[in-house]
Amino acid sequence: MDLLIIPLIVLLFMGIFSFHFALLVGDWDYWVDWRDRRWWPLVTPLALTVLPGVFGFLLWDKLRLPLGGTLTILCLTLAAWISRYLNFHLFADFPMNFVWPSTYIGLGLILDCMLLLTRSFFWTGLFGGFTFGLLIYPLNWSILAPFQVPLELNGTMLTVADLMGYEYIRTAIPEYVRIIEESTLRTFGAAVTPLTAVFAGFLNIMNYWFWLWIGYLGTKAVWIRKIV
Amino acid sequence: MKTTMKLLCAFLLPLIAFCVIYPSPSVAHGERAQMPQLRMRTVHWIDVEASTTKLAVNEIVKISGKFMPSKYWPHHVDSIEDTAYLNIGVPGPSFVRLDSRVNGVPMIRSTSFRKGEVYDFEITMKARKVGRYHVHTVINVKGAGPMIGPGIWVEVTGDEAAFVNTAETLLGETIDLESYGLGNVMAWSALWFAVGLAWFVYWLTKCPIVVPRFKRARELGPEADQMITTMDRRMGGIFLTLTLSLIVGGYVYAQERWPITTPLQTGKIDVPPLDQPPTPIAIKLIEARYRIPGRSFRMEFDVVNDSDRPVTIGEFAAGNLRFINADVLDVKPKDEHDLVASDALRVEGAPVAAGATQRVVIYADDAMWETERMTTMISSPDAVVAGVLSFFDDAGERHLVEFGGPMIPDFGMVPR
Repeated sequence: MDLLIIPLIVLLFMGIFSFHFALLVGDWDYWVDWRDRRWWPLVTPLALTVLPGVFGFLLWDKLRLPLGGTLTILCLTLAAWISRYLNFHLFADFPMNFVWPSTYIGLGLILDCMLLLTRSFFWTGLFGGFTFGLLIYPLNWSILAPFQVPLELNGTMLTVADLMGYEYIRTAIPEYVRIIEESTLRTFGAAVTPLTAVFAGFLNIMNYWFWLWIGYLGTKAVWIRKIV
Repeated sequence: MKTTMKLLCAFLLPLIAFCVIYPSPSVAHGERAQMPQLRMRTVHWIDVEASTTKLAVNEIVKISGKFMPSKYWPHHVDSIEDTAYLNIGVPGPSFVRLDSRVNGVPMIRSTSFRKGEVYDFEITMKARKVGRYHVHTVINVKGAGPMIGPGIWVEVTGDEAAFVNTAETLLGETIDLESYGLGNVMAWSALWFAVGLAWFVYWLTKCPIVVPRFKRARELGPEADQMITTMDRRMGGIFLTLTLSLIVGGYVYAQERWPITTPLQTGKIDVPPLDQPPTPIAIKLIEARYRIPGRSFRMEFDVVNDSDRPVTIGEFAAGNLRFINADVLDVKPKDEHDLVASDALRVEGAPVAAGATQRVVIYADDAMWETERMTTMISSPDAVVAGVLSFFDDAGERHLVEFGGPMIPDFGMVPR
């Protein structure tokens, strides 16, 4: 039975998570020149928590398996790499170093381990949900940092990522479409990244609890009874 | 069931065979789908040229010309005077853009353009992928979308594997933009994937895990936590420590390896208009009628010629279509999709003598109105058209003058 169900679940998670992530995060994860300090670390955890929350509740409540975070994000990662390689690289000709997917597996592990150790959705949400939002940027910094090295083009300072965005032509994505670095955090000096991370962490506590609740409603299946 | 399958096969097989045997190249970028008013009243493209139409991988092509944001920009469309970006329309990064300038200002960032001004532009690209591409100039306008310019076929030959694209960072490192950082990305991604997979595999070792655990959890109810063993908790602690250590370690590694970084760069820049003498020609549109059965546009103007030479109209351009007066100009299409009608402009009442004011009537007659779907202008919610007239004096000097105004369709039902 497991041999049938588990591959199906993996395929299901790959499909729905990639679709969901494409709709809610999309360009922020597609292009290296969208991964800024303000919007990417804020938008991403809020969208990324949905499936770990919903399916995390289901897997824990019904099977006592702390796998919701890791398994869903593993599936997303696998689907993302396949899609970037086939669609963005082979089909659309973008170099892979411009369209690589970010890594989030560590965040799923944190949620699952917290849940296993505390056996409490409340504490998992409080600590796990917070660190999930807080650590997106540092988790990805090991792969993102080289793309934010400065260079000069025609008297303008750019990062390597900006230069790639300029040179590798995207007709439908003009420069102004990027939702990055908007507004100002003037009283916080250069501490934009940690401030955004902490804010994302706090928001994500509520966000995780909310999606757990949705998972709870799903397992009650009240809606199915209403339909039937 | 069998009948349904047979029907499906009978329908699908010929369709698939047709698609496989007759693959037609995609040539248009949707410009014909844009509303005619949008094409006629947003950006006028003038003298768009490619420095070469055949080149090898790693060779350079420059697309240059002029554009004029229309003074008759539709009010219901977001303005080019807010935020715009000079772009190029090609299928994916078949070229890399090395430089793009408007009036000499680098167009790396977004900007804005003034209506009625004429701007010079030049885009420098290096060929990257072998193929034949219909290269369009584009100005993306925030809130309004792409304003597509004329297309030029450019053919790229050579060896794609030999393509090189390097850059030098401000730290003095020369990097290959085709592969820079990818090894690092793949190594870290593989590491995280392995750790995540190890966690999954640990729980898979307890297989069967679906039905037995479901039943057990149900039996135990609130006591279902008993299903978690000491070993499970130990693994949880190990994986949590490993995860946090890897995150901190990765961050410290990146800070050590790339200590100098900057945030992504964005913002707008200004492009000052060119210093140009005012044109000595003024025109007023008296009437514009589009006769649908004849695919004929008749326009009547009052032309004021304040120059010291007689002038006549050599070209009428609207929505990337060019109608040429063969008595004045000899312009031939550059390729099979160049929207030039070489002898389709008839001018009555010209030349206009120096210092004179004269009524001039022009007729732009060509099937392009139909084939380029400009005839749908009669479906517009505000039937206003605009275009650019190129006046030439007897010394060959050109004066560009934009006009605009209401258009009346002529359905051929009333004799005129």
